[in-house]
Amino acid sequence: MESSEEKVVAVIIVGGPAEGTRFRPLSFNTPKPLFPLAGHPMVHHPISACKKIPNLAQIFLIGFYEGREFALYVSSISNELKVPVRYLKEDKPHGSAGSLYYFRDQIMEDSPSHIFLLNCDVCCNFPLPNMLDSHKRYGGMGTLLVIKVSPESANQFGELVADPITKELLHYTEKPETFVSDLINCGVYIFTPKIFSAIEDVSMHWEDRANVRVSNFALQMATRSLLPDFVRLDQDILSPLAGKKQLYTYETMDFWEQMKTPGISIKCSALYLAQFRVASPHLLAKGDGTKNATVVGDVYIHPSAKVHPTAKIGPNVSISANVRVAPGVRLINCIILDDVEIDENAVIMHAIVGWKSSIGKWSRVQADGDYNKKLGITILGEAVSVEDEVVVINSIVLPNKSLNVSVQEEIIL
Amino acid sequence: MKALILVGGFGTRLRPLTLSVPKPLVEFANKPMILHQIEALKAIGVTEVVLAINYQPEEMLNFLKEFEAKLGIKITCSQETEPLGTAGPIALARDKLIDGSGEPFFVLNSDVISEYPLKEMVEFHKSHGGEASIMVTKVDEPSKYGVVVMEESTGQVERFVEKPKLFVGNKINAGIYLLNPSVLHHIELRPTSIEKEVFPNIAAQKKLYAMVLPGFWMDIGQPKDYITGLRLYLDSLRKKSSPKLASGSHIIGNVLVDESAKIGEGCLIGPDVAIGPGCVVESGVRLSRCTIMRGVRIKNHACISSSIIGWHSTVGQWARVENMTILGEDVHVRDEIYSNGGVVLPHKEIKSSILKPEIVM
Repeated sequence: MESSEEKVVAVIIVGGPAEGTRFRPLSFNTPKPLFPLAGHPMVHHPISACKKIPNLAQIFLIGFYEGREFALYVSSISNELKVPVRYLKEDKPHGSAGSLYYFRDQIMEDSPSHIFLLNCDVCCNFPLPNMLDSHKRYGGMGTLLVIKVSPESANQFGELVADPITKELLHYTEKPETFVSDLINCGVYIFTPKIFSAIEDVSMHWEDRANVRVSNFALQMATRSLLPDFVRLDQDILSPLAGKKQLYTYETMDFWEQMKTPGISIKCSALYLAQFRVASPHLLAKGDGTKNATVVGDVYIHPSAKVHPTAKIGPNVSISANVRVAPGVRLINCIILDDVEIDENAVIMHAIVGWKSSIGKWSRVQADGDYNKKLGITILGEAVSVEDEVVVINSIVLPNKSLNVSVQEEIIL
Repeated sequence: MKALILVGGFGTRLRPLTLSVPKPLVEFANKPMILHQIEALKAIGVTEVVLAINYQPEEMLNFLKEFEAKLGIKITCSQETEPLGTAGPIALARDKLIDGSGEPFFVLNSDVISEYPLKEMVEFHKSHGGEASIMVTKVDEPSKYGVVVMEESTGQVERFVEKPKLFVGNKINAGIYLLNPSVLHHIELRPTSIEKEVFPNIAAQKKLYAMVLPGFWMDIGQPKDYITGLRLYLDSLRKKSSPKLASGSHIIGNVLVDESAKIGEGCLIGPDVAIGPGCVVESGVRLSRCTIMRGVRIKNHACISSSIIGWHSTVGQWARVENMTILGEDVHVRDEIYSNGGVVLPHKEIKSSILKPEIVM
């Protein structure tokens, strides 16, 4: 049958607490990778996608969050999806290439022929099996997932140039000031184990330049510590290898977003909800106001949430566990986190309502919905209380605050 | 004798500092806020201090253990499971405060700094023989607060007036009380206000007396008042000719410098500055009206005024930081940057100038 068939592993970079300042105030008490999109933790989506990879042996999560938070999640997702998931904790950030190299022994444990590398904060449909087939055809050391974006927004990302016929990666530059290309790096890669020697080569080159004289013996003994502390995959490893027939590209025509700020998570949640409608419609809520609340568009409601039938929910709403939605509530384009209580006739639009918050009767929590503006999505942190009839517009409220007067365009500490 | 300190909750008004450290442990004049009060209580013979809190972070537990041993005073916690207002916590802690001896107990509001003339307060309490004593302090703008209307000669309290529109008096509640155990009969274990319910009851029975607080008083629960409070506190140290104040040709006015801090050449420090442990102030630095928390590095030629620099932050060369800039823990202001009232959350790097007051998350 399948003898020494090619095993594949996947590595998902989850990061750590010090990096998460852009995701405040939602990242204060919850690690960003566990923030729910379309009712499931952010990292659930790439893990789910990895399950479709044939001959998947193991999924590794690499990051520097304290083990406790992830241990519980990892064992539950492992059971739920019936796929082995392991959390490898770094003592400090090493950069994505540095992290990959740091854990190379564990990653190579099953002698995989291919290694997927995904960034946790990427939102896309992860066409991993097709990407693997293309990678095998190209025969290179690595393949990057790429996507075309508008020329104006391209400079927020890594811009790259690819050969239109061979799909080879010809040129790569990170966040350039002038326009290079409208094709950008999605943060999803496939490598053969040769990536580890590529990382070693590059860092040796650095060491040469730094003029460190080490004897060959010492070099072999200390390969792990020889690597500079922080090695970035894109700028330090891939950029120098572009144009050398080692790296190729696979273009996706589907959706792609990077979850840098909390506001974008509503957009990403909507994209995943739309994906559920196609692939797993049973996960979405249904209702017409008789026995269940009226549902418009794509809506996820956790089984333990209680939503009054006179409420109208959607489009693009995610309601997490133990939420109580009272009669007459209207929710549009929002994420309602665990244990929130929303009282009668309240309206929530273009907002994220943090865990355990309470929203008073006839209050309004809304924003203009512009994901690119700093205050374009209203965000309430954990345990925020909005009193009856209060209006909160285009604002961010830190945890444990109580609002008894209306606010607009403000950050409340 | 026993005492209760009303610590409360998350200290959100002192953010971003309280995002890293629970409010009672935030240093004021190089000493945790609550330690100022605990030391004053210990000095007049209080043997047990109860902290009324509504959330208990781990750092508090460690602090309690450490200072219990160091100071030789018992420190315990009384934790609210639901908010109990300004008087409810006293009822919650009743078993810890009443020991059958009939002795009165202190109740302090944790955001307050003052001279703490507690010995005089005990004598005042004994002499009037009433049920409760309250410290009041004179302010310029009484209608911002709750005014205590009292009979001048005896100090007997007639009534409380919340934010009066017309002038009724200029003494306000300073948040320092000395209560007989019998006061607990007036306080139910539910959300209760001491100013609106408990004290008016006792005043009606003519058993509440007020003493005017000699010396300075400040509620330092928010950054602006914290900075003003430091000036008042250092001023009181000067009046007592305290050896803690720094001196030297590079010092102007009242300045506190921890002995482990280093100051470079050509600096001008003061007035009203506190520099915490392990700080490094490089050369040519100007500091005025500011607090520099533990472990901060201020690089050459920088200029800081009317600001608070949080633990382990750095301020770059030639940077200018002023006008109520509050830097949280581990904030790094790059060289040559200007911050006018920036309020920066922990673990950030400031790479571009902040031209007008703004919160940086």
